[in-house]
This record gives sequence, structure tokens and C-alpha cells, in this order.
Amino acid sequence: MAKGIPYNIALKHYRAQAERPMPQTDFGEELLRQYHPDYLRERCVDLTVGPNAGDPCHRQLAEVLQGDARIDEADLAGSPEVETDVLVIGGGGAGCAAALEASLAGAKVILATKLRLGDSNTVMAEGGIQASVEKDDTPQQHYEDTVKGAHGELDRSLAAQMVMDAPEVIRWLIQQGMQFELDQYGDLMTRRAGGTSAPRVLYFRDYTGLEMMRVLREAVFNSNIEVWDYSPAVELLSDESGHCAGAVVSSLKDYKYILVKARSVIIATGGIGRMHLNDFPTSNHFGATGDGLVLAYRAGARLRDLDIFQYHPSGLAYPPHLAGTLITEGVRSAGAYLLNAAGERFIDELKPRDYVAAAIIRECAEGRGVYAGDGQGRPSVAGGRTPGATDGKCGVWLDTPSIELRQPGIIEKRFPKLLHLGTKCGIDPRKQPPLIYPTLHYQNGGAIIDREAASTVPGLFCAGEVCGGVHGRNRLMGNSLLDIIVFGRRAGQAAAKRAHGFGRGPKKITIEHLRNFRRELMLANMPLARKSPLLFPAYAKFDVDSDYDGLRKTAAAGFIND
Amino acid sequence: MSNDPEKLISLRINGKDISAPRSHSVIQALWYAGYPRVKGVGCLQGVCGSCRVLVRRAGSNKVTTELGCELLIEEGMDVHFLIYPTPPHQSYRLEEIRSSWEVQAKFHEIFPEAEHCRHCAGCTSTCPKGIDVERGVELASKGRFSEAGELFVECVMCNLCQTACPEMIAPNHVALFSRRVTAYFHIRPSNLINRLELMRKGGLKVIE
Amino acid sequence: MTKAKTTANLNQVLLNPACRVGADFDAWMGYVGGQGLEKALEDPAAVIQMAKEADLRGLGGSGFPTWFKWNAIANQDAYRDVGEGRERGAVSLAERDKYLICNGNEDEPGTFKDRVLMKECPHQLIEGATITAVACGINKIVFYINPHLTACIEAMGRAVEQWQASRWPSRVAEKTGLKIEYCVKPSSGHYIGGEETAAIESVEGKFPFPRGKPPYPSDFGVHGYPTLINNMETLSNVPHLVRNGVEWFRNLGIGNATGTKIYCLSGDVLRPGVFELPMGTPLNELVNNHGGGLLVGKKLKAVFTGGPSNTILTPKDIDVPMDFESVAARRSALGTGAMIVVSQGTGIVKKVAEYISFFAASSCGQCPSCKTGTYYMSLLLNRIGTGQGTRADLDSLINLCKILPGSGRCHLINGAVKVLDSSLYHFMNEYEQSLLKVEG
Repeated sequence: MAKGIPYNIALKHYRAQAERPMPQTDFGEELLRQYHPDYLRERCVDLTVGPNAGDPCHRQLAEVLQGDARIDEADLAGSPEVETDVLVIGGGGAGCAAALEASLAGAKVILATKLRLGDSNTVMAEGGIQASVEKDDTPQQHYEDTVKGAHGELDRSLAAQMVMDAPEVIRWLIQQGMQFELDQYGDLMTRRAGGTSAPRVLYFRDYTGLEMMRVLREAVFNSNIEVWDYSPAVELLSDESGHCAGAVVSSLKDYKYILVKARSVIIATGGIGRMHLNDFPTSNHFGATGDGLVLAYRAGARLRDLDIFQYHPSGLAYPPHLAGTLITEGVRSAGAYLLNAAGERFIDELKPRDYVAAAIIRECAEGRGVYAGDGQGRPSVAGGRTPGATDGKCGVWLDTPSIELRQPGIIEKRFPKLLHLGTKCGIDPRKQPPLIYPTLHYQNGGAIIDREAASTVPGLFCAGEVCGGVHGRNRLMGNSLLDIIVFGRRAGQAAAKRAHGFGRGPKKITIEHLRNFRRELMLANMPLARKSPLLFPAYAKFDVDSDYDGLRKTAAAGFIND
Repeated sequence: MSNDPEKLISLRINGKDISAPRSHSVIQALWYAGYPRVKGVGCLQGVCGSCRVLVRRAGSNKVTTELGCELLIEEGMDVHFLIYPTPPHQSYRLEEIRSSWEVQAKFHEIFPEAEHCRHCAGCTSTCPKGIDVERGVELASKGRFSEAGELFVECVMCNLCQTACPEMIAPNHVALFSRRVTAYFHIRPSNLINRLELMRKGGLKVIE
Repeated sequence: MTKAKTTANLNQVLLNPACRVGADFDAWMGYVGGQGLEKALEDPAAVIQMAKEADLRGLGGSGFPTWFKWNAIANQDAYRDVGEGRERGAVSLAERDKYLICNGNEDEPGTFKDRVLMKECPHQLIEGATITAVACGINKIVFYINPHLTACIEAMGRAVEQWQASRWPSRVAEKTGLKIEYCVKPSSGHYIGGEETAAIESVEGKFPFPRGKPPYPSDFGVHGYPTLINNMETLSNVPHLVRNGVEWFRNLGIGNATGTKIYCLSGDVLRPGVFELPMGTPLNELVNNHGGGLLVGKKLKAVFTGGPSNTILTPKDIDVPMDFESVAARRSALGTGAMIVVSQGTGIVKKVAEYISFFAASSCGQCPSCKTGTYYMSLLLNRIGTGQGTRADLDSLINLCKILPGSGRCHLINGAVKVLDSSLYHFMNEYEQSLLKVEG
């Protein structure tokens, strides 16, 4: 495969230029089929065990879904038990919304989060949240845009529920204390996003997610919800009838396991970016390692679309240690071109994300990209090796100097975050274009849920990125913040309702589902060496962290007993 | 490239001697050198406020506070991670404030420390986002909540100002309270309200 | 030549029963009052030289040569207030302002000597301050007293009134041209208010934030005027030094040390209290003879010297002579002369946690490294002290001791680091044993 033009030579040939012609070639669906990573069939396997046996799944994801648990029966023996109505696993936007609603409904809620409350992808969302509030917009249009963006392959009832809930969700957020951009009359400002038929994205500066998360976190802290930070869940618990009955929560503080006996469990653990699928860098939060998918799968929950992920076109490609860092879509909306090494545009920059990403990959694969390898092949810490380039540091220019030429001062005014990022790369984006390459951004698939966010396992609810079906093959900008609040709230309400229906809770908590899963693995001759959930990306060296020795040792001891 | 980003820099992080390429952040430098780091790591993009560090630069006595994911390594730097969060110690519910006329009185009940600000400016100098924290507290104490909140748009709730306050004021929570009451009482967008009304009356159903 | 001194020399000078007359002007005069001042008025310049020869030190904790500070003030050009700015220039003696702040903010755990001097010997103190003022050309004396010490404020207030009504002010004015004003000023009650530049801020009516140095107080103090700050115990020594002469004063101490020192003994001893002993008295003698030894059945584990902002002495140091140099030679410091005795069975980690929490609560807030640093040290200590600490927490503490010193405007952060660092040096085993036990 071609390597591309070396960085220094390409940079020498680059000239800032206000206007450049739009390319005429349009590859359509063929472009996706040839270059989008989702369509690379050799990267998929069919799952062998579990509720989705026979379904295609990304190979890396399959490894953890069909991995062995971190715990064993022996770990349950000496561990303390805690009882609650609702256990929420995950402290991002969906988890907080779920916990708040469940608590409001009168349930006793424990929220366990792997890191700190609010450490999530929510806090990093810049763009905004969709809700049809303008006169010339309707929920129906919102619905249709969502279906179209999803290439039709979504759960229509979930999409309908989401768009219908949207205006009420905005009201709820405002009543939690979240601010939005308002016009001079105090109306909500809206803007367009790729693939929307009307201006529908509500936002707060470039900090929509940050504003949402800090408000929700504050609301949670000022409620009766018990927050356990640094407490990753490592396994679910089940009762005699296979219903979800709680979870085994570990603590990064004192190495202990706690068995949380819960009438309802809500998984809101987010996505998989930090698994670096296909060796892609990611824009995701440090904790996005797909833990919830693993827990749900082993407990018997059906998942869907495990081979479909969103690659955001503009992730930083160089320098390697920043690979994957997101440059907001707003830069392209403002008119920044994408240029190959020859300085030519090669795609309409405002096409949906999957097309643009595939086009960038095509340019690099066919040798028209900019190659920035140092020849030494030093592995990058963010795991950023990109396919299509032998040394993994290939990309295209995001032509930021051109928008600066057209509108002097725009970068400083509208994209301070980009300027800051430039400093970290040692470039001034007003004069020199950053090198970009698609970055693993979002997990489109996940646990199957109904309108009440109930998974296929009774007692287990899922909300947020961990769920599948809401966005189909491709998510629109602004629909993820909406999704997490809509289904987070629904999960909280439904979980509290289920908890109220109980007498004195499940009599017995077991890991029977785990035994069954292990039997399946053994019968299928699957290796038991791989432990999951991952909890942290490998480069964090979590398993050698002296702080965490205890948990690791106990787990190992349990394994020997087996 | 003109300034070679691969050049190795030596520094100390949490007492360990480390070398890493120039333009690495301190978290990446730690990973690069093969040390584990889990606690105190979050979004890695400067918005979650997890990775608070104390920094002492070569040849300086001064120790400053920064965010580890944003701080680029420098020769001879000494870095220390502050991994434990500072829990909030006040408690309030917006629903308990009956009207916007009551906000100021409630504020002083919830944050009795706020008016004791001794103007040491420690909060402002500790803020990794360059927010004029002290001014925000002063504005909030005077009941100018929307102005106070406006100063804190970029606040990532790292809690450093709370740790730095000798009067136990939690300035970031003061600011967040200010922002929240502003939204709770004063954001009433007519476009949203119209839409909600229409839907309440059963209009605008989605046909799947 | 070593001078042999014994317990017979207890409370011989400052705390001599004859001095402890409270705010009773006549009683003080009937004893030795006025003798020192009269001598100073005869030859004011000689006083500084006497302090130098006698090796009088700052007894508030620093051990800094007192004459050096006095000299700096005495040599200051006079200032004249010309409205907004201040202008240097030769003006007549009567027009210049120089301040003496008599520091009685005493707030450190384990230190309780100045309060005895203020309450029981206020005239000794006033006379000492007046002699100092005469020697340095100071015309404003502020008795800066911790507001929690109400009895001291009351006694000092009455004594100042008596003093002002006496013949001394006019006698001083007549001999030197100095119209000395006295005032008793309660401090803010913050620990940090005892720091000298913080005291200046406080006297100016502001919050006691330490200032950066330079400028030093001798150049730019209260309202910009030259200002001298001395500890109450230092000043109380002055009348006796001037009255009895250098030779007498030097002979009071043991070995190379001079004068006496008021030691504050507290903790697990039978008879805690204040003991004025020759400077350089061995720790052993203080603890066992004067303090009556440890509580029955207890064994000595450690002594926190000088209030907690200094360091720890261990049983092998029990023979140390308690003067500035000798204690420093044992990797510790004499400080204010407070000796907090800790017996076996006391958790050092918890004890240190208690002291560091004190510093965390006392940090003024100006320097985030100090406020945040002490907060974190106390958080980590509390984790370890309550058995929740990890190896990483301990490593973190060790590293904080390396990174923090010198990062503050004043010495508070250094003091906190010192006690922690010293406890880590002597009691690392105990820290390690307190860590969270890992199963498996």
C-alpha cells in the first residue's frame, strides 16, 4: 500500500488559498463499502457463545464479550452485601439522569462509577443537543432525519420516542439548571447539523456537554443518591430465575468487592472508543472501554449492531501522542476544506460523517495522503496506528488557514479550543493546517432496549451509548446528548417502578449466569485467558498499578481455585 | 518539523524520573515511560477536571496547580498528581427555593461562608482555566447571580478553588449555583414553551 | 569552659516570683522596675551593643540575633509622611515614626509561655519594649495580642495605663526626644497573624496576609514606616540584660548558650507547664526532673519540639541541650521552646495528621501551593492514619515533602513539611504498618 507524501514535502507545497473547487467525483455507497472500516469484513467474526451467537461482531469486541470474568465464586464469599432499590452503573449523563429520576420516584439509589462522577464522554460533547422547537420544524422531521442518517437500520419506535421526548427533555434540563444559548428575546437558539432538515441543534457555546454534565453532577450530589466513585462494576448478579439482581462492584480505593443487591440495575457505561478498534485512535474519554456491553452480554442481554461504529472524520493525526483528539465538526461547517497532499479537495466536506471519513481513508490508502511517520515506528501511547499507512501516521490537511483568509479572526473568536490544541501540536492553525484522520468516536450498536429502556433481561435496564438501535448505522450530531437524557430518564423511572413492585427483594443473589457462560465458553473450546471487562485501556497499565494489586491478586487466586 | 516534537525531555512525575518526547502532556509522558496511571485521568481533553497536578518548574520555587492532560512537559519539571476529589459540603435543592425573590436569602443560607471571603485571591491564582474566581464569589454574594455565573462558563469543576479556599467557600459550587438559579428561574424560551403546549394538547405525533 | 547549672536555677529571672506581680506598677518598681530603663536612657546606643555581646536571640521561634534587627531599625533614615507618598529625608527626631510590634499572637499548639509573661509580668514587658524603643528610636509601640487571651489583654491594658500615668514617658521624652505612644491591639486570632509581615497587615487593620519579602519590615512596615517585630519573651529579657550587664546574662546559660529560656512542657508528662531554665538545659532534665517524668507506665516515644512546626526528637536525643544550635545539630529545631512529649502507644501518623490539619486550617490562602499542599497532606495522612492509605498515598506524601518547601510567601508550608518530613524520617516503619492491608 502506498505510503503517502512525506509531511515536510507536503507542507512545503501547501499554500493557504481562500477558494478551491469542489471535486466532481461522487462515489456514493461504493465509497463506504470500499473504505469505511465497518465494511472491512475481515475485521469481523461471528460470535460463538452468548445470546448473540452467530451474529457478526467486531473481532476486538468479540474477544471481550467472549472473555472470562474477573471474579469467581470465591470472591463473593467474604464480600460485604449492600441492598438498594436501584443500582446505576456509570456516572455520565445517562447515569445521572437515570439516578435523578429513580430517586425522584422515591427509590433508594446507588450510583457506582468507575472514575469520578461525571468522568464521561458527555462532558466532552461540544456540538449540542437536538430538539425540534422551531416553528418550521416538527418531531416528525426530526424522526425522519434520524431514520435517514441511520440508513434506515434502526429501531423506529426508539427513534420516535426520542424525538417526542426531546422538547420535554430540554425543559427538564433547564429546570435542573442548565443554560442554553438564547437570542435577544430569550428564545432558544438553534443551528443546523449535518443531515438535519431544519435548524434543530440547541447548544451552549462549544461547551454543551460540559454545561450539561456539571449541572447533572451537582443535582446528583445534592440529592439522596449515594455516589460511589472509583468503583467499577466487574460482574452482574442474577437470581434463581436468571433476572438481574445486582452487581459486583469493586473499589479502586480499598481493593474490596461489594455485592450490591438491587431490585433494578441500570447500565449506563457508555461506549468503546478506548478499545481502539482497528487500531484507530479515539476521541473518547479514558474510561470508554465497553464494560457495560460485557456485563450485559454475560448476564444474557441481547445486543445488536456490534459491527457498526462511528468514525469522526476530523481527529488529529499528528503528533502521535495527540492522535484521535477531536476537532469539532464546526470547523468544517465554517468552511474549512479537506485537502490531500497535492492540495486538492476530494469530498464535499459537509456530507454525513461516514462518507467523509471513508473519503479520507481512501485518499490515504491510495497514496495521496500526507505521511508523517518518523521511520522509527515508535508506538504511540494513544494507540493511534491507522490502517492504510504502514507506519500509521498518515492523514489529510484540515485547511484551517483558508477560513482564516476568508474571515480573519474567526479562529480565535469561534474556535479557541482549536487554537489551544494547535499550541499543543506546536502549530498555529491560522497559518498551518493540522493533519487529520478519522477517529473512533461512537458505538452505534449495543444492548437492545424497549421504550422503557428495559433490556432483554428482566431487572436490567440500559441507557445511553451502551444501547443499540437508536441511531442505526450512523448517528447525527446532537442526537447523542438527547439519547442519553431521554433513555436515561426513562430507565430511571422504569427501574424505580419495578423496584416498587417488589416485596422484600430477591431472596438469593448468585453468579449462576456466569457459570453457564463459562460452560458455554469451555464447550466451544474458547480460551479463558482473556479477562473482561477491560476497565481501562492497556496503556494505563492498570493491571500493574500497585494501587490495584489487591483486586488483581484476589482475582488470580479465584482463578486458581477453579 | 521545525521544532522536533520527538526530542526527549527529562522530568520528575510523582517522584519518578521520566523521559518522554517534547510536547507530550504529563499524563502521556507517564504512560510513555511505562508507569501505570489510572486515578486522576479522565477526558484527556481538559474538560473533566480529574487530572489536577502540582507543578514546580526547574529553577523556580513556585508551585502551581494545573491540569495534567493540558500541561506539556518541560525539562526539569516536577509534577505531582492530586488524585482525590474534594467532596462538596453544602447541600441544596432548587425546588426548595420558592421564587426568584428568595434566591439571595437562600444563597447565604446554603453558602454562609461566601460573604467571609478574605480576598486572598488564592482561588483565582489556582484556577487552571484562568477564571476570575474571587470576583465570581463576590458577585454571587451581592446577589448578581447571572453575572457571577457568566464568569464560570469554562469551569470544569476540578475543585481546585475549593481546596484552595481558607474560608471553606466552594467557589465553583457557588458559581454553579449561580448558573443553575439563572436557568431555573429565568430561562423561559417561548419557542420551547409553544412546542410543549402544542404537544401537550396532543399535536405533532410521530408516524413511524 | 562549661558552666555547671542545676535545677536550682528554675524561674530565676523572667518568671521570678518577684516579677510576677501582674499589672501592679508599684510592685514592679519596688522590685527592679526602672533600673534597666534608667541605664538605657543614659546611653541608648550601648543597648544594641549589649544585646550583641549577650547573644540575645529571638525567642519566638527563629533564634535570630536580636541586635541585628534592632540595628537595622536604628540605622533607618527618618521618614516623613507627606500625604499620599512617603518621602525620605532628614527630619527632626520628633517627626519620625517607627513602630515596634510586640508579638503576642502565640497560637501554636504546645506553646503557652507569652501569655504568662503578659498576664503576670506586664510591666517587665513594657519596660523591655520601652528600652528597645529608646535604643532604636521607636515612637510607636503596639502590644499585639491574641484576642483569645482576654486576661492578657486586660492585664496589659491596665499596665499600659499605669505606665502612661507614671513619670517615665516624660522622662523618656526629656532624655531622648521620643514621645512614645503605646497601644494594645488584639490580633485577628488567626495563627498566620503571628508571622511578622502578617502582623504588620493586621496592625494596619487588614486581614493578616503575609507579605512577600523584600521589602523587609525594617524598610517598609506598618503604613510604610520602619517596623521592628519582637517576641514577648525576647523583650521581657531586655530590662534584666540592661540592668545586670552582658556578663551576667551570658553566665545564665549553659555551655555556649546565654540567658534563660521558658520551656513549655506538655503531653504525656506528670507535671506539664512553663519552666524558665538556663538556655541549654538538657531535655532529659526538663522532662524527668521538672516535668516529673512520663505518666506512670508510659515510655517516651518522641518529642515534638517548638510546637509542631519544627521537628521530632526521639528517645536517643533525650540528652540534647535545649539551645538553638544543639537542637539543630540533631536534625530538629528549638523553636518556641515548646516540648510536646508523646509516649509509646501514641500513633505518630495520627499525631502528625492532627498538626498538619492545624496548618491546613491556618494557611491564609494567598499561595495555593500552601493551602492545597497542606490540605492534601492532611487528607493523605488521615487516610493512612485511619488504615485506608495505600502505598501510593505514602509515596505521594514523600513526594509532597520534596516539591512543596519554599513555595510559599511565608514559612507556614515549610513548617508543615518539616514536621511531616521529620516524622517520615524517624517513623517510616509506623507509616508502612498503617497502610491498608492487601489480602491474597
